[in-house]
Amino acid sequence: MSELLYPVWDYLRELFSTRLPYFPSNIRSALFIVLFCCIAFIELYLYIFVRRIRQTIAKKKEDKWNDTISTLLADIIIYGDDDDTDTIINHFLPQFKKLPLRRPLIKRLLTRELLSYHANFIGKTAEVLRGLYLRLNLEKEAKAKLKSNYWEKKIEGIREITQMNLRTEAESILKFTDEENGQLRMEAQAAFVKLSDDNPFRFLDRARERILDWHQLVLFEVITKTKNVKIPAFAKWLKSENDSVVMLCLKLVNHFQQWDAIPDMVVLFGHSNLKIRARAIENIGKMEAEMVEENLFNMYFNQPFEIKLLVIEAIGRISSGTYLEFLKSRTYSDDFKIRMAALKAIKLHGSDGKNLLTNIYKDSTLQNRAIIEHVLDERIKN
Amino acid sequence: MNSYYSFFEEFLNNAIFYYALVVMFSYIFLTFLSAVEMKSYLRKNSYVDYKAILVSPHAPSVSILAPAYNEEASIIDNVRSLLSLHYSNFEVIIINDGSSDNSMSLMIEHFGLEKVKFAVNEQLKTKPLRGVYKSKNPAFSRLTVVDKDNGGKSDALNMGVNVSEKDLILCIDVDCIVEQDAILKMVKPFLDEGKRVIAVGGVVRIANSCEIRDGRLITVNMPEKIIPRFQVLEYIRAFLMGRMAWSRLNGLLLISGAMGLFDKEIVIKAGGYNHDTVGEDMELVVRMRRYMHDHDLRYRVVYTPDPLCWTESPSDAKILGRQRNRWTRGTMEVLLLHKDLLFNPRYGLLGLLSYPYWFFFEWLAPILETIGLICFIYLAAMGYINWEFSLILFSMVYFFAVMLSTIAVLFEEMSYQQYTKGSDLFRLLGMAILEPVIYHPLTVYWAIRGNIDKLTGKTSWGTMTRTGFKAKTKIKQAA
Repeated sequence: MSELLYPVWDYLRELFSTRLPYFPSNIRSALFIVLFCCIAFIELYLYIFVRRIRQTIAKKKEDKWNDTISTLLADIIIYGDDDDTDTIINHFLPQFKKLPLRRPLIKRLLTRELLSYHANFIGKTAEVLRGLYLRLNLEKEAKAKLKSNYWEKKIEGIREITQMNLRTEAESILKFTDEENGQLRMEAQAAFVKLSDDNPFRFLDRARERILDWHQLVLFEVITKTKNVKIPAFAKWLKSENDSVVMLCLKLVNHFQQWDAIPDMVVLFGHSNLKIRARAIENIGKMEAEMVEENLFNMYFNQPFEIKLLVIEAIGRISSGTYLEFLKSRTYSDDFKIRMAALKAIKLHGSDGKNLLTNIYKDSTLQNRAIIEHVLDERIKN
Repeated sequence: MNSYYSFFEEFLNNAIFYYALVVMFSYIFLTFLSAVEMKSYLRKNSYVDYKAILVSPHAPSVSILAPAYNEEASIIDNVRSLLSLHYSNFEVIIINDGSSDNSMSLMIEHFGLEKVKFAVNEQLKTKPLRGVYKSKNPAFSRLTVVDKDNGGKSDALNMGVNVSEKDLILCIDVDCIVEQDAILKMVKPFLDEGKRVIAVGGVVRIANSCEIRDGRLITVNMPEKIIPRFQVLEYIRAFLMGRMAWSRLNGLLLISGAMGLFDKEIVIKAGGYNHDTVGEDMELVVRMRRYMHDHDLRYRVVYTPDPLCWTESPSDAKILGRQRNRWTRGTMEVLLLHKDLLFNPRYGLLGLLSYPYWFFFEWLAPILETIGLICFIYLAAMGYINWEFSLILFSMVYFFAVMLSTIAVLFEEMSYQQYTKGSDLFRLLGMAILEPVIYHPLTVYWAIRGNIDKLTGKTSWGTMTRTGFKAKTKIKQAA
C-alpha cells in the first residue's frame, strides 16, 4: 500500500511546491481550489463526526439528569393534598437542594422541567412547583435574562416569568412591548396581558410598531383564553392611528360581543384600509346589528368588489327581511360570487328566504338554478 | 494544424476553468445566503408555539388540492392521512382526473360519498366535470371528491381551484406523506411577513425505505438502494441550500409540485396552472410573480426548511431518467414561455438574477458540460490533450462538488437531523464522495435527452411507476 502511496505523495508534493510557479495561472488557481476544497472537506467530515459524538455524550448526560429530576418531580405529584403548600415545599426542598445547581446544565434542566410540569398541572401541585422554583432562587436567573443582549434570552426570561406568574415583573416587561424585534415585542405584549393587574392593555396605547397578523393571532388567543383578565371596552382603540391595533381590537370586539363599539365600527365603514373596512362589516354581520343594516345598504354601491361581497353576507346574517328585494336584485349580477353570496344571504332569512329562493328558481337561468341547488344542498357546508 | 489544436485546447481549458469558476462562485454565494436564511429561520421559529394557529378562529382557511390518477393502491390511506392533518380551518379536495382504475369507486365506498349539487365557479378553464361528491359521514365532512374527465395534473389542479372555497390552496401530490403539522408551518409565513406572501414552498424529502404506517411516517431511514440514496443528498442540497438562498433573496422561481401553498386569489388572477407545459409548478410561480410585478404589487415567495413532505423517489435509473427528462423539458418550456424576462429590469430580481440563473446554470450547464466533454474526447483522440492539466481541472470540479455536498450534510445535521443513525450519516457522507462520478453524469445524460426530446417535439409526461408505500406498511423494505 505504502509503495503505491509514496509516488502519489511525492507527485503531489512536487506539484504544489517546485512545479507550481511554472503552471499557467488558471491551473495554479485550480490547484489552490483543489487544496482548499480538500482541507475544507476533511475538516467538515471531522466536525460532523465530532459533533455527533459530543451530541451523543451530551444527550446521555442530559437523559441521566432528566431521570433524576423527573423522579423528584413525580414524588411531588403523587404526594397527598392534605398538607398545606409550605409544608410540602419544606418536605421536598432539601432533596432538590442536593442537586448540583451550581452547574448550568442541571439548573437549566431543572428549570425546564419545573416550567413544563407547572404548565401541565393546576391546584396545589402547581403551587408547590412554583414555590420550589422561588425557594431555589431560579427566578433570579429569569430576571437576569431580561437584561441579556440577546432577544432569545429575553424571551426565555419573559416566558419563565409568565409561566411562574411573577406579577411584580409586569412593569419590567412593559418596556419590551414596543420593541423593534417583532418576536420579543409579541412575547412581551402577551406576557403583559397575563401579568398586569391594573391595566393589562396599556401597551395598546403606546403601540407604534405594526402588530403582524401572526402576533394578532397569538395575542387574541392569550387575551381570550387567560382567566381573570380585566377586559376593557376595545372601542377605545378603534380610533387608533396604528391600523394593526384597530384590526386586533375589531377581532376582540366581535369575540366579546361589545355592542357599545357599533357606532365606532360604522365610522370604520369609510376607513381607507380595506382590511379594516372589511372586518368592521363582518363584525356588524356577526353581531347581527340590525340598527346599522341601512348603513350597509347605503354604502354598497360605492364599494370595491370584496367589500360588496361582505356587505351582502352581513345583510344575510342580520336577516331582518328589510333588504330581501335588494338581495334578490343581486342575483342578477354578472358575477358568480355576488350571485352566490346573495342567494346564500337569502337562504339565511329562514322560511321567507326559502320561499323567495323557490320563486327565484322558477324564472332563473340554468346557472342560477345550479347555484340555488348548491345553496340548498345541506350536504355542502355553506 | 497543430497550432490550431493547441489554441483549441487552451481555449477549452480556459473556458472550462472560467465557467466552472463562475458556477462555483455562485454556489458559494448561495450557500452563504442559505446559511444566513436557515439560521434566521431557526432562530425566529424556535420560540413559536404553533398551537396558536391550530386553535385560532382567525387562522387562514386552506384547501388541500390533491389530483389523483390511477392511485387505487394507496388512495384511501393517503386521503385518511390528509384528513388527519393538524389544522382547524381546512378542506381536502381530491380531484379524480378520469382514473381508469377503481380509485373513484373505492373512495365512494370507503368514505360513503354521494353526489351533491355543487355549482362550480369556472374561474379557470378545465375539462368537463363529472360530479362533486361529499360524504354522508360527518367524520369526513372536510372531504370533497371531484370527478372529472382526464386532462392532466394542471387541469386537475385548476378544477380544484374552481371548487375550493378557502383563501389558500395547498397543492400536493396525493401519494406524498405529509407531516401532521405541515399546514401550520406553511401558513405561518402568510401571517408574519410585512409584504404579501403569494406562495410558500415546503421541503420534500425521500421516503424510500422509511417506515410508513397508515399513511404516516414512523421512522426515517436511509434508502437501501443507491439511486434513491443519491437523491436524498441531492434533495438536501437543493432544498436546504439552493431554495433557502433564493428565498432569502426573494428570487424563488420553483416551488415543488409535491408541496406548495398558494394565495388563491393571485393564482386565479395569474390564470391558474398552464396546461401546455410539463413544468407547470415552476410556470405558475413565474406567472404569479410576473402578475405581481405587472401590477406593481409588493410580494414575497417563501420557503420553509422544515421537512414537511415525504415522497417515494424513483428507485431505478430508467424511471428516474424519465422524471429528469420531464424536469428538463419543463425548465425549457418555462424559460421559453417567459423568455422576455431575461435581463429585463422591469421585473427586478426576477429578470436580472433568478431567470438568468436558471437559464445559464440550470438549463445551459449540462449542455456546456456535454460540449466540453465531447471536445475533450475529440482532442484526446487526436493526441492534443495535456492530461495533467485536464486532471487538475477535473479534480477542481470534483473536490468542489464533494465539499458542497458535505456542507449540505452539515446543514442537515445542524438543522433537522432526520438521519439519526450513525450508519445513515456515514452513508450520506459516502454519497457525497461518489455522487460526482456516478450520479452526476447520469443526470447530465438525462438532461441532454430531455433537451433532445423537447427539440424533437416530445410532450408526454412520462410514466412514473412507484412501488407504493402500502406494501411497506407492515415490513420495512426498499422502495
